[in-house]
Amino acid sequence: MFKYALKRVLTFIPMLIAISLIAFIISINAPGDPVERLSKAAGNEGSAEQQSGASKKIKQELRKKLGLDLPIFYLSITDLASSDTLHRIQDKYHKANLEELTHKSGNWKGVSDYYSSLLKLQKSHLKINAKKIVSNDSTLDLNTVNEAANQFGFEIGSLLETSVEELVADKFKKMNNLVADNTYLSLLKAPLLDVQTKRSDLFANTKKWKTYIPAVNFYGAKNQYHLWLFGNGKERQGLIRGDFGISYIDSQPIQDKIWQKVGISFSLSLIAIFLSYLISIPIGIYSAYKKDSAADKGMSLILFILYSMPSFFVGTLLLLQFANPDNLSWFPVSGIQDPTLFDPDWSFWEKSKHRMPFLILPIITYTYGSFAFLSRIMRVGMIDVVSQDYIRTARAKGLGESKVILKHALRNSLLPVITVFAAIFPMAIGGSIIIEVIFSIPGMGVEVYNAILNYDYPMIITVFTLSGFLTMIGYLVADLLYAVVDPRISYK
Amino acid sequence: MQNTNENFSFKKYAWAQFKKNKIALVCLYLLFALVILAFFAPYIANERPLYAEYEGNTLYPAFANETRTDSIYNTEGEFVQVLQYDIADWRQLDLESVVWAPIPYSPGGMDRYNRDYASPSGEQRFKNSEGEIVDIPSKFRHKLGTDGIGRDLASGLIHGTRISLMVGLVSMGIASLIGIILGAMAGFFGDTKLKMPRIKYWLTLFGAFMGLFYAFGQRKYVLAEAFGESISSGMLQMFISFVLIFVIIYFFRQISKLFQFRFLQKETNVPIDTFVSRGIELLNSIPRLLLIITITAVVDRSIWIIMIIIGVTGWTGIARFTRAEFLRIRSLEFVQAAESLGFSSVRTIFKHALPNALAPVFVSIAFGIASAILIESGLSFLGIGVPDDVVTWGSLLNLGRQNLEAWWLIIYPGMAIFLTITIYNMIAEASRDALDPRLKS
Repeated sequence: MFKYALKRVLTFIPMLIAISLIAFIISINAPGDPVERLSKAAGNEGSAEQQSGASKKIKQELRKKLGLDLPIFYLSITDLASSDTLHRIQDKYHKANLEELTHKSGNWKGVSDYYSSLLKLQKSHLKINAKKIVSNDSTLDLNTVNEAANQFGFEIGSLLETSVEELVADKFKKMNNLVADNTYLSLLKAPLLDVQTKRSDLFANTKKWKTYIPAVNFYGAKNQYHLWLFGNGKERQGLIRGDFGISYIDSQPIQDKIWQKVGISFSLSLIAIFLSYLISIPIGIYSAYKKDSAADKGMSLILFILYSMPSFFVGTLLLLQFANPDNLSWFPVSGIQDPTLFDPDWSFWEKSKHRMPFLILPIITYTYGSFAFLSRIMRVGMIDVVSQDYIRTARAKGLGESKVILKHALRNSLLPVITVFAAIFPMAIGGSIIIEVIFSIPGMGVEVYNAILNYDYPMIITVFTLSGFLTMIGYLVADLLYAVVDPRISYK
Repeated sequence: MQNTNENFSFKKYAWAQFKKNKIALVCLYLLFALVILAFFAPYIANERPLYAEYEGNTLYPAFANETRTDSIYNTEGEFVQVLQYDIADWRQLDLESVVWAPIPYSPGGMDRYNRDYASPSGEQRFKNSEGEIVDIPSKFRHKLGTDGIGRDLASGLIHGTRISLMVGLVSMGIASLIGIILGAMAGFFGDTKLKMPRIKYWLTLFGAFMGLFYAFGQRKYVLAEAFGESISSGMLQMFISFVLIFVIIYFFRQISKLFQFRFLQKETNVPIDTFVSRGIELLNSIPRLLLIITITAVVDRSIWIIMIIIGVTGWTGIARFTRAEFLRIRSLEFVQAAESLGFSSVRTIFKHALPNALAPVFVSIAFGIASAILIESGLSFLGIGVPDDVVTWGSLLNLGRQNLEAWWLIIYPGMAIFLTITIYNMIAEASRDALDPRLKS
């Protein structure tokens, strides 16, 4: 037994790592720049502010906190041309652009020279002060100067993010024209020329062959995955210590949001599973006991049809029939409580009584699917057991039929049902998204749904990882229980 | 074995068993009907007429390309108008004779006179060729009603048949390809039967690494560009990448023959069964709907991508069944005969063993199609992953949920989903009973 448990736990650990890896791979492929999203959520947006030093500094700190300046993983597989310092570049789009340029040319040195010359150009562009120019030369209009300068700044910005040859040539032409037409931009002439020569140098000196040779870079523990999983002991605690990051929607820590919501989903699924066991086990026993009778056949057909009914259809039908002023308005349409009547100081009993009518339809929807499924499993398991020798023995020694079925057969036929129990844990965290959305229950399911509609990736990834972990734990517990109940398993 | 008849064949026996289940037989016919409905959907529900006489010209608008543009001349050869097939209002044209499709509406076409949930039995309006608003003629009635922006429900349902069948076909096609190959290899070789010289093993792994590097690392931008252009050119580049991987792996395997040291040529086991079984276990431990939703959150919204994701996450059941069948088959005489005749493993697996292992796999594919349709309609019900302009059963049902007064938007699409799933489940269960009587419950 101990050996079996040990073996089971040992296979469990690599699976956890694999789930965290899948979640991490999905999360780094999420579109958009997390820093922009987060600073937007925090409310410091606005074009003037965006350019200001303070906002930039905040973003830089955020980037550092999120670990975006770190390499992605413990190691990376690139080609010989790529640099192992590329990850230090902060802007996601600059990074992608430089990567593509390196891939095209195989000349990392040329690319980094080109990039630093562009940054220099940007710096000298920032030095241009429209007001000063106008005050020196009264023939100029402030607006036109501003416009030309902004145009130039825009071209630099897009050069930093694109590597398409025709576009770049076009940008260069526009910038040259701007400099030629407006003498006050002459300050930028030299750096612009430098950028252009660096770019032509870059492609004059391509080392394409380098991109055909793979290279492996090792970075050690200072990487994004490690930070996400284990934290750095300071501001980031890491996934394993319950730090799941910050939501893009309202900048709240995700663990807080989850704790607020998980109770409702968990109690709902617990009630539903309890009810479905309560109904399905007797039904399963009965149909197995009366196998091939008309009752069994009818029950099987009904269960089969229930099993094929999509829960979202059943939920909507129930709403249509029982929570609809046109038909029967027995139950409220949505939510779990009436905000005008609900009093948080009520006792548990009063709260439950108040919430009861809200919860009946969702619980029916929740229950019927698993109940059809469970009854079918139960029936098969029971039929299997009833034909075994020891049941025949029990009958032969003269035990009453009810004793044979309920005492000897039932215990063994319950085995396959244990496995299903493992599904409760992930249901609590992922919630049943569809059911909670239909009935507007403010649980985890709706939380996930909103996260998806708002592209709140940290939330989605957290829920994904947690429910993966919890399912694994559920399976582990179920397997160990199995081994306790049925000692044959651990001797296999 | 009481049946010693020379003509006895398993297929005939299974079919006879299947036919005994009358409900399943009816379901099979219904499935054929669905396929026909899906196939002819553009001719059953179309706002363009099937046949029309206009100013002496004979037109077949429903059969033409919808972007087609005709310059119409009357019988005297005078120019009348330019007819753009997709935006022309065919009902307003002065057609001499016309044959409409049985449902004269397209799924995306908005009938602006019957907006705001026109009920199937209620009052509906129509603009006739004189431009007057009149009570709708029965030919143009929205027999199943409309949604909030005046789209015809019956047409949406019929075109939705296409999508639901495609979802089943494409996703389970992908899933069975992955599942059968992996399951067959895991079951046939187990952990100990696939032996190769150490160097070959190492070089195969190295070749797989190099193959992945050249096919996806090196060609990253080529692939991204092709997918940006269109799905089909992206798929072509993807295919080239896969061919490249195989060529590179083959190359390294050939190279391994050059190393003739005894240590390197020593045979080792490839624990392929362990790999596959762990992979199945891993994928099974992730709640599938959540996995699919998570992936759809980071990729573009497209019905094709949904199908691919459902397929890629849905192969575990098929792989498990194939593996179990192969575990049984590999010790049977005919497989051993094939092996002792010196056939290659590939030939033994695919030509001799696989045809005998397909029966239970077929059952799991049929169940898989049902669950694929369920997942897709669930996703479009939530409005996740499927683009807004694609009309599916799930998205129609969602419209009904948002407006409970439009009961026809709940009942009809819901019944369509429910019936389709029941049909597949019923066929799957009946064929399981027919193919393997031991499993009968």
